[in-house]
Amino acid sequence: MQKDGFFNNGIGIPHSWNSIFEIEKQVSEQIPNCYINSNWDHSLDQSDPFESALSSIVSSPVNSQSGITIPGCENVVLKELIGRLGTICNSGNTSANTSCYNTPLNSPPKLNLDHHHHHTSIPRNNQLPLPLAPFPADPGFVERAARLSCFVETGKFSSNQSFKNAEFSSAISASDNKANRVSMSIDNKELDTSMEGSSLSEQNINVEIGIKSQNISSNGRKRKVISKEKGKETHSSTLSVKENKTVGEHDAKRSKSDEQGNGIEKEKKEGNQKQTKENAKQAEPPKDYIHVRARRGEATDSHSLAERVRREKISERMKFLQSLVPGCNKVTGKAVMLDEIINYVQSLQRQVEFLSMKLATVNYRTDMNAETVLSKDTHAMNHLDALAQPFYAMAHDGPENPLTAMMQLHGSNMKSSQINGFGEASAFWENDLQSVVQTGFSQNQEPNFHGKTSTRQMKVEL
Amino acid sequence: MSPNEQPTSINPNANANALKIRLAYRFLHNLNNLNTKRSNLDNTRINRRSHRVKIAAYASMASVVGSRRAWSRSILWKIKKQGVLSRNKKRVDRVTSTLHRHHHVHLGSKRRSRNPKREYYVDPFGNSGQEVKLRKLVPGVEMMNACALLDETADYIKCLATQVEVMKTLVDLYSTI
Repeated sequence: MQKDGFFNNGIGIPHSWNSIFEIEKQVSEQIPNCYINSNWDHSLDQSDPFESALSSIVSSPVNSQSGITIPGCENVVLKELIGRLGTICNSGNTSANTSCYNTPLNSPPKLNLDHHHHHTSIPRNNQLPLPLAPFPADPGFVERAARLSCFVETGKFSSNQSFKNAEFSSAISASDNKANRVSMSIDNKELDTSMEGSSLSEQNINVEIGIKSQNISSNGRKRKVISKEKGKETHSSTLSVKENKTVGEHDAKRSKSDEQGNGIEKEKKEGNQKQTKENAKQAEPPKDYIHVRARRGEATDSHSLAERVRREKISERMKFLQSLVPGCNKVTGKAVMLDEIINYVQSLQRQVEFLSMKLATVNYRTDMNAETVLSKDTHAMNHLDALAQPFYAMAHDGPENPLTAMMQLHGSNMKSSQINGFGEASAFWENDLQSVVQTGFSQNQEPNFHGKTSTRQMKVEL
Repeated sequence: MSPNEQPTSINPNANANALKIRLAYRFLHNLNNLNTKRSNLDNTRINRRSHRVKIAAYASMASVVGSRRAWSRSILWKIKKQGVLSRNKKRVDRVTSTLHRHHHVHLGSKRRSRNPKREYYVDPFGNSGQEVKLRKLVPGVEMMNACALLDETADYIKCLATQVEVMKTLVDLYSTI
């Protein structure tokens, strides 16, 4: 098809894309060309230096469209989009065309939507996919757009148009990290206007679709997609816990904030997201968002994503450490937690030292007494016969430490335990401890309270 | 050593007890070796003995874990190095002094060759000195990034805690004779 010819710069188009085009065709015939042309001119008027970029970019697809005779509006809309792309491309990137197509996804929708929003009251549902049509660089993105367009068609349009626009732009912005503030600004405007339960659910669904669509990993974006997915899913999961309206708002906002890779917004995401985004919005008149993008360009997508992944890993491990270190449930924040961890490790090491000193003294004393104690106790305990025999054998050899005998017992038990499993071995061992305590050490009728209680505790833990 | 594994996340009780048993066994073994080997030397001095007991404790803890973990490897390596050095010391002084230095240098270089460069990662916590402190406390984590450091710390804490428990029970056993 002709459209295939246009997009066959190396990118394949799924069948759905053609279907979208057909749908757009049907609707677009209603749209007057002049309207779109006016938008295009308006965009051109905004900034003169971008004309060169515009012309260059516009000319290239036009050239490729040698055989295409798109019914009026599509071509113009495409040109418009390309123009918008050109503006953004020129500001940020001087890289290849593909990047120009990919990165400033948000700005053309933004500009488009603003104009659409202001000018027409026509149900623009089927127009929405149009501006995004010339972003064919990703087959993944194409599918995303396809899904979103389908979703757009099925949903309600009259009151929720602006919302849908925001959704759509948000979903699209979900694919890219740059220029997310643009879409966020849109959301700010439009979320104010249309906030309903249904729209919220749609928003959630949109976000989810955005997440799902990201499952389709594009060329160089696999890692980004996955990590974004992660971020989004975690956020959506956390958000599902909360309540309806605010959740809906924060959903979209949070997903966008995740995409941004901006440290500021991520930190504030729990708190006043609206305020931060309003500030971001205020900082972005159509000229300034270029400045903002330049600043944020320092943290490129891959870096910010990697950082985010790292941060999540670290927080995961911190949670696990919290479970290990006793008394850290109430502690929140990495700094305090780290302090607690350091203190705990230091205390454990000191305990080891102290206990080793104690053991050294105690062991010395028992070494003195071992043989005597062993020799004293020669009568066999009933349930300890089997255990005691090697014990007594050892006693004949004169082990310095009755614990060696115990270890031999334990060794035999260990062999059996390998068959039976560790649980029995542990029980055996604790029985051994008690038995050794009873036979080897104690003439007392009441063997070690401490030892027994400790072993009992160990048993209970079993 | 997969960075994603979280020990004792599943079935913590069974793992903890198994670890405890293994630790206790190994520790007693080491202790007895200590006592049998060194019974004639320095038996009266408590400091030396306690030091040896402590080394035995750490050695047993590290050997139970094996070479799976960086901290256990570094502990075992340190103890080996110490053992070699001390053995060298107990030989003829003149001969061993040079041997000493050779060993020391050799071991040091070996150590260095094993860990060729010190990469200092950017502090993800954004706090001063905490990560450095942690690296000093946990053996063998100098080279790691923050994630792996936390992993090693978790494992180290777990093993240390079990070792402390084992030693407590032993002390109780011994003390209540």
